[in-house]
Amino acid sequence: MKLIIGGAYQGKLAYAKKKFQAEDGWADGRTCDMDAVWTCRGMDHFHEYTRRLLETLDGDAGSLSRSAALPIEPHRYALTPEAMEQWAAQFAAELAKRNPQILVVSNELGCGVVPLDRTDRLWRELTGRICTCLAQQADEVVRVTCGIGLRLK
Amino acid sequence: MMHLITGGSGSGKSAYAETQVLAAGEGRRIYIATMIPRGEEGRQRVSRHRLLRAEKQFETIECYTGLQALTLPECGTVLLECMSNLVANEMFEPEGAGAHTVEAVLEGVRMLKRQARHLFLVTNEVFSDGIAYDEETMRYLAYLGEVNCALAEMADTVTEVVYGLPQRIKGDGSE
Repeated sequence: MKLIIGGAYQGKLAYAKKKFQAEDGWADGRTCDMDAVWTCRGMDHFHEYTRRLLETLDGDAGSLSRSAALPIEPHRYALTPEAMEQWAAQFAAELAKRNPQILVVSNELGCGVVPLDRTDRLWRELTGRICTCLAQQADEVVRVTCGIGLRLK
Repeated sequence: MMHLITGGSGSGKSAYAETQVLAAGEGRRIYIATMIPRGEEGRQRVSRHRLLRAEKQFETIECYTGLQALTLPECGTVLLECMSNLVANEMFEPEGAGAHTVEAVLEGVRMLKRQARHLFLVTNEVFSDGIAYDEETMRYLAYLGEVNCALAEMADTVTEVVYGLPQRIKGDGSE
């Protein structure tokens, strides 16, 4: 697994395609089937995929469920930081097992003021937790700035 | 020689850029200012910065839009600050390039590169707060991101300054 991160509009996808010689087989996190993550060569806009994960939440206070075809028992996870961390770790481990070659391209979202909107806050938090776990699983992590990759791992 | 310097707000990228210009040696030093001074506070700020740079033997040239038409007095060391202003000016000022902002800015930099012995450009990291702004602002971010990528491609050296610590992301590691 490779994780390619950076700010918006930094040329991350172009970098990933070139660096890892992966022209085809990309899923777009904004629009793809939620199951695409398990089979695609790479996923662009992964941070939008995590947004959609949040949107599939069941229940009032929000919880992560099986609805995103995740390998997690159907009991609900309240979105406490601990639960998110646990969930993110399971997601990352499962991804590493089922799609070990995947290239994950994600915006970094965390370098701003805490959003006023609750969903925005949860989204930022969840994306951070997931990407942190993906970075642990990945054999390579690259941060792209101005189209230039800096290897973090 | 072209050196692109980026970093967040308050990262120390301006101070680093000035140090680099001084280290590039003697000769004419030209500072291209892009921030349109607005109000009394803006004017005071600009004249203070001008004075500080004059001590370092910088001449200041204002250029808010239309960089491609700028002719430098003679070949020297040039510092342009900041690409984020220039892109905003081209996009939003009435005399700016509007939808052709990216091409206009890049053409301007190519012109500068031909005229300057050493060219230092300062730009801005504004892409990592995860906020979905209005359409206009998102277009601004897209334009600035595109400009930054193209400039990094053109540059011999690219540095990201993190709290005063210069991280060389392109070019040789010599500081």
